Amino acid sequence: MKPLNILIISLLCAAIAFIAPASAAPADVTVISSSLDPTVLMKGDTGTLTVVVQNNGADPVAIRNARLYGSGVVPLSDPYPSVGELGAGNSKTFTFTVRADGGEGTFYPQFVLDFRDAGSLRYPIPVQVENTPLSASVIAKPDAFAESRTADITVRVGNPRPNAASGVQVIPQGSGFTVTPTGGFIGALAPDASGMVTFNLTPAAETDVTFQVVWRNGINTHTADLVLPVAFGEDKKQADPVITNVEVTPIAGGYRIVGDVMNAGLESARSVLVTPGSPATPIDPFRVYVVGTLDPDDISSFEVTFKADAGVEEIPVIVEYRDDDGNRYTATTPVGLGGTTAAPLEEPEDGGFPVAGLLVVVLIALGVAGAIYYSWKRT
Amino acid sequence: METGFLRVLFEPGRFFEARMQDRPSLKIPALIAVVMGLIGAVSVIPMTDLTMAMLPAEMQGLGVIMTIIFAAFAFAGGFLAWIIYGFVFHLVSMIFKGQGDLERTMEFTGYGLLPQVFGGIIGTYFSYRLLSGLNVPPMTNPEQIAEFSENLVSVLATDPLAQIAGLVTILFTIWSANIWIFGMKYARNLSTRDAVLTVGIPVGLYILYMLITLAGWL
Repeated sequence: MKPLNILIISLLCAAIAFIAPASAAPADVTVISSSLDPTVLMKGDTGTLTVVVQNNGADPVAIRNARLYGSGVVPLSDPYPSVGELGAGNSKTFTFTVRADGGEGTFYPQFVLDFRDAGSLRYPIPVQVENTPLSASVIAKPDAFAESRTADITVRVGNPRPNAASGVQVIPQGSGFTVTPTGGFIGALAPDASGMVTFNLTPAAETDVTFQVVWRNGINTHTADLVLPVAFGEDKKQADPVITNVEVTPIAGGYRIVGDVMNAGLESARSVLVTPGSPATPIDPFRVYVVGTLDPDDISSFEVTFKADAGVEEIPVIVEYRDDDGNRYTATTPVGLGGTTAAPLEEPEDGGFPVAGLLVVVLIALGVAGAIYYSWKRT
Repeated sequence: METGFLRVLFEPGRFFEARMQDRPSLKIPALIAVVMGLIGAVSVIPMTDLTMAMLPAEMQGLGVIMTIIFAAFAFAGGFLAWIIYGFVFHLVSMIFKGQGDLERTMEFTGYGLLPQVFGGIIGTYFSYRLLSGLNVPPMTNPEQIAEFSENLVSVLATDPLAQIAGLVTILFTIWSANIWIFGMKYARNLSTRDAVLTVGIPVGLYILYMLITLAGWL
């Protein structure tokens, strides 16, 4: 080549270099941060992956497109087809919707920036997927359940996940019971934190109560179930009215039972009533005896009157009482009338003092008074 | 009003005044006592039925004997009451310096028992009503019979019919006392005041005893 040609080409190149705008090298563009919301996904969760790139060079960089690809955690949103230039010192944020399709573990979807002039930027972004659910446990319940007796059930929900859970609720589910409240709200639970909620459960039958824990991981709703079997049994602390010192006395028209009722349980028996049960028929004056409240180890006397057919040798004496929640209970004690006790007299038709007999007494009294008056008058 | 000895019920003064004109006669008073005894004997029949029901089959013969004994005692009770009342009145009237033989006292005391014949009839009716309402369970040993008897007393003591029977007895006793006052006035030649005291003191005590018993039942 001739020296003149070489000079011309050199000048041309210099001119082009001088006239053309300056362009930074792709190496100046870097990913400065990335984040995932929620920070830890569960399998099937959808999250938002945000990538921020910055041009650290002195010149703008032309970017053709930005995209994300990978397996295990796959993008759901479209790539950025035309990005444009990224000015010197500027940063740009790219947001992708991703879904955890794989199993547990850490996945690395690739963030790719294609530069218009040449080359591309590939940046693997770690995404953690962990399926550990919130844990629920019953931390307080009665020793035994009883029909229609309200029991306090306390459920504790813990968060063993590495990220926070939001909107945590506990909702009792099932049939054969009523519960208050119908759901308990705990709210956000930080990692390794826990929250408690108490329910007043009143079973109507033996059943299984499912406490469903509902929470959100980002925009994804998850549930976990805790099953509590409700089987009826005897409460070790409940009131236990015991009838002692019973004395049966035949009276006109029936029998009278006097005795003592004592609360041998560990809880108070309220609204205690003592009544004779079938085949006995309560009669006045003590059809029912109201004892009231019997605290543990308290004792009270009672008296009931009733009539029973001839041949009845034993009748039940029924003690009705309530617990603090108002649930009604009964305790029955058989009381023998004795095989040789006198069968009661027939009850007067009017149920009380025989009116006909009283009338006879009055008439006789009048007659006697008249006879006496007449005898003195005729003296 | 001339109706024989029944006149003593309403005109005891005039009746006894007229009787004083005759010699003492115990025939009619004894007849009244007999009737009283018969009524008493009849009144024990319901109780005897009860006793028979209590006894085991092999002891029914004993029941018959007991029935006869009870009836005999009840029959004698009429005479016993007559004799006791008569002697008591005669003795009490001595305090008031009463004059007159015992036979006359017994005669007039016997007439005074007449209202109690009616009282006995009504009392027997109430006893029947009272006891017929009882059902007796079968018993096989003396302990059961003793227990039943105790319970029976408790039942009878609290029954309104028993209280009514007691009141009826008291009323007819008061009527008898009224007759006895006139009887003692003439038989023992007492003032009205002394006759009232002669009869009123023992009869009053007896009625008081009955009232206390009734109050205990109530």
